[in-house]
Amino acid sequence: MIRLEQIHRDFEVGDQIVHALNDINLDIAHGEYLSVMGPSGSGKSTLLNIIGILDHATSGRYFLNEQNVTDMDELAESRARNRHIGFVFQSFHLVPRLTAAQNIELPLVLAGIAPALRRQKVQQVLESLSLADRAHHTPDQLSGGQRQRVAIARATITEPSVLLADEPTGNLDQKSGSEVIVTLEALNQRGITLIVVTHDKNIADRSLRSLQMVDGRVVSDRHGR
Amino acid sequence: MLAKDFIRLTGSAIISHKLRSFLTMLGIAVGISAVVILTSIGEGVHRFILSEFTQFGTTLIKVSPGKTQTMGMSIGAFGTERPLSIDDAEALKRLSFAKSVVGIIQGNAEVEGNRRTRRTTVFGTGHDFPNAFSMPLQRGQFLPDDDPLAPRALAVVGSKVKAELFGDSNPIGRRIRIGGDRYRVVGIMASKGQVLGFDLDDTVYIPLARGLEMFNRVGLMEIDLLYHEGVPEDRVVSGIRRLLVTRHGREDFTITTQRQMLDVMGSILDIITFAVAAIGAISLLVGGIGIVTIMTIAVSERTAEIGLIRALGARQAQILSLFLGEAVVLSAFGGIAGLIGGFGIAQLLHLLIPALPVHTPWTYVLLAEATAIAIGLAAGVIPARRAARLDPVEALRDE
Amino acid sequence: MIASDIIAYAWQSLSRHRGRSLLMLIAMGISVASVMLLTALGEGARRYVHDEFASLGTNLIIVLPGRNETTGAGLNAMPGVTPRDLTLDDARALARHSAITRIAPLNVGAVEASWQNRKREITLLGSTHDLLKLRHWKLAAGQFLPDMEWERTTPVCVIGKKIRDEIFGPHAALGQWLRLGQNRYRVIGIMASEGRTIGLDVEETVIIPVASAQSLLNTPSLFRILIETSSRGAMPSVIEFATAVIRERHYGEEDVTVITQDAVLQTFDRILSTLTYAVGGIAAISLVVAGILIMNVMLVAVSQRTAEIGLLKALGASRQQILRLILTEAMLMSLVGATAGFVIGIFGSWGIRLAFPELQVYPPFWAILTSLLVALVTGLLFSLLPAGKAAGLDPVRALQGR
Repeated sequence: MIRLEQIHRDFEVGDQIVHALNDINLDIAHGEYLSVMGPSGSGKSTLLNIIGILDHATSGRYFLNEQNVTDMDELAESRARNRHIGFVFQSFHLVPRLTAAQNIELPLVLAGIAPALRRQKVQQVLESLSLADRAHHTPDQLSGGQRQRVAIARATITEPSVLLADEPTGNLDQKSGSEVIVTLEALNQRGITLIVVTHDKNIADRSLRSLQMVDGRVVSDRHGR
Repeated sequence: MLAKDFIRLTGSAIISHKLRSFLTMLGIAVGISAVVILTSIGEGVHRFILSEFTQFGTTLIKVSPGKTQTMGMSIGAFGTERPLSIDDAEALKRLSFAKSVVGIIQGNAEVEGNRRTRRTTVFGTGHDFPNAFSMPLQRGQFLPDDDPLAPRALAVVGSKVKAELFGDSNPIGRRIRIGGDRYRVVGIMASKGQVLGFDLDDTVYIPLARGLEMFNRVGLMEIDLLYHEGVPEDRVVSGIRRLLVTRHGREDFTITTQRQMLDVMGSILDIITFAVAAIGAISLLVGGIGIVTIMTIAVSERTAEIGLIRALGARQAQILSLFLGEAVVLSAFGGIAGLIGGFGIAQLLHLLIPALPVHTPWTYVLLAEATAIAIGLAAGVIPARRAARLDPVEALRDE
Repeated sequence: MIASDIIAYAWQSLSRHRGRSLLMLIAMGISVASVMLLTALGEGARRYVHDEFASLGTNLIIVLPGRNETTGAGLNAMPGVTPRDLTLDDARALARHSAITRIAPLNVGAVEASWQNRKREITLLGSTHDLLKLRHWKLAAGQFLPDMEWERTTPVCVIGKKIRDEIFGPHAALGQWLRLGQNRYRVIGIMASEGRTIGLDVEETVIIPVASAQSLLNTPSLFRILIETSSRGAMPSVIEFATAVIRERHYGEEDVTVITQDAVLQTFDRILSTLTYAVGGIAAISLVVAGILIMNVMLVAVSQRTAEIGLLKALGASRQQILRLILTEAMLMSLVGATAGFVIGIFGSWGIRLAFPELQVYPPFWAILTSLLVALVTGLLFSLLPAGKAAGLDPVRALQGR
């Protein structure tokens, strides 16, 4: 479902060139639960950004659902992000002036879905993530765990095929952190492909497949728990 | 805080947001330019009109028949039962302060010469006309100092009439017909161009008595008197009044001094310039709102910074002056840019449209700059006070 | 993204920064309101002059002595006298034309009027019976000049209200003998006070038969001949007729100027319209300044919301959508500001109308339309840069708030 072929990503920092990703070849099947680990600066976030089509590879090819992403124009990329990809960030990235429900429906708003249908979908998601009573709270009225669950709800509202989570528990305490992980895993159980970038060995151990990255390379690719 | 450090702190705040500061200044600059350009045009027109009037000298006094005046014109010039006569003009000549006295009748007649005809304005007037109105001759002489009641049939032509009738050839000594009567040309007036829409070159001058006869009139339209410099104006006015009242038995005339005309004209033009400047200042006001907006944003963005310097021991007054300083610098520099821009555009306008007189009045310019700074201060006050009153603990927490 | 969502989103971001948005509204509102008020004033002045002229008479043609080749038929037709007088006979010759409904020869002069021991200088008008209706004047009391032979001198006069007040005071003026120059005239009518018109204050005027005025002023020449035609369409032929008749009577010399009321009115109209445009244009500069402010604030907003824009991109917002969002925000701002300005402008002109009822201060439709349009267009133009900046943000960096 995700296929990366000889992906390189170079950054210019001053007059030096940094190879953030160096010859990445990766196949991720539908419904996989993948964790990416590695020290900071190893390129794991860059890898996530490229898979999420936020960033572009310097060279190499990327296929998402058999479609060549490298050939897409800006509009097609946006559409692909909207339909196929869900993001969960370490710092939640909720729009502070919007309520939980409004934050959740943002991807549907961007896709131009009619309000009635949106309301229905948002209601479903809120209930499935037991956030129904928080629908009309703004982010500053929510706890950290609730905020991240709202962010997850937002990421899954368009029923994407891939959920990309970048340190989803980084800003959370132990208890809310594991709640969030349980939520993500439950989604994976229902068929969504889950890719989690993390520092946390415990989280990596729970995943069915785990990548180790160092200096822009994949140094180990463990399958099975 | 040392002045140098104050300037450095203020300056760094402005420079760190280059585009934002530039746009804020631009708003003020556009407003100031508008004021400068508009007042430049206003003042230019003002000076132009005043010079049109003062070219006749400021010691000129006009006496017109009748006491009723409408829209600056004397109804008596159209007709009255007690007209001003040639004898009145001659009597005025004998006043000690009178330098030149000319009676005038103005009409319209067909002039024929060199087998061409043209309808023009005809002035019946006297020998002193060029002196009284500072109108030099281009060639030949003006009407001679003949017996005012029986002058010879001589005429002086304006440059346009000369060009239309005689082209390049010399008309002096040639015969022309004015309103059917024969005249000999003795002089050509130098070109004066248009004064307030009236073409002074499309004119013919003949002796006053012949003008009255030609137009079948008994009275003069006006008598103009040029007095010697240094004589007090009210003495001249009262002298003229006394003499004419003695002659007519009552005051059935109006005396208008050039100074009165200039005063009236000047105050009207001042009002116009001021009004135009005020309309331009609307833009300045909007520019001021721009400063308020940007300073409000700056304060809310730099809340943490304010908390920090408060924690480091800055007093409220210092915070206030820092933000006020920033606002004033923005408006002052915007103002200066606007002054330069406005002055430049005004000059450019003058180059493109030479007919448009332009003069940048420096008092207005300084006033505009002062206004800009005042706007900066006024606009800075609310945000700066908000900054100064921030609770340092709260402010630091904002980080 | 559907339109209502775009607007709702933009509205939410604006209302989050109330103070800042309010200031932008004020800036835009002041600009639009000042354009509207100033053009309304200009338009009011134009209408005032227009109505003044219209009250002078309809389908009016004016014949005046003298013709100048450079000045042409303009406003500053000088107090022309000509070698050959414009006479009562000329006027009568003109009256032959069938399309002429009324004709009034006119003499003007300054004369001293006295009654008992009260004196004052007055404006003397010599004319005929038709003048009253031709100029749409009204009488307060008595009657106007009798309908009689133009050449007859009859010692009667019609006086203005101010003359009555100042010379006769509390005494009844009708029937009194008013001395003008050397002769005495019986007061037969008093003009209503409304007749104040451009260039001539009827209140300070005494009207006597034209022949009497000519003898009093000692001139055979007329000052003007006023002609009223039966219809507007007849005017050109009457003008042609008048010019031809006078030329023929003056032995082939065309020494009169024939102008229409409309021509004079048009000149005033042109001047005042130009003035209105100029004043409106000057005020519109402030719209540009308001535009600069909007641009500045939108730039600030974009830089403050970098992370949010990054998020929108991550959620699948295209460059186009971001552009549209920011533009909508700016447009919404200028629209609300312009509407506020519009309301202020409408109320402001209403206020001016209350204070000066004689001025019909209504903002002209074109000014409303253009100022609103210009406000929107400036809002759009000046937000292109910030919107472009937002749309061009790199999502990865933007998410990090850089």
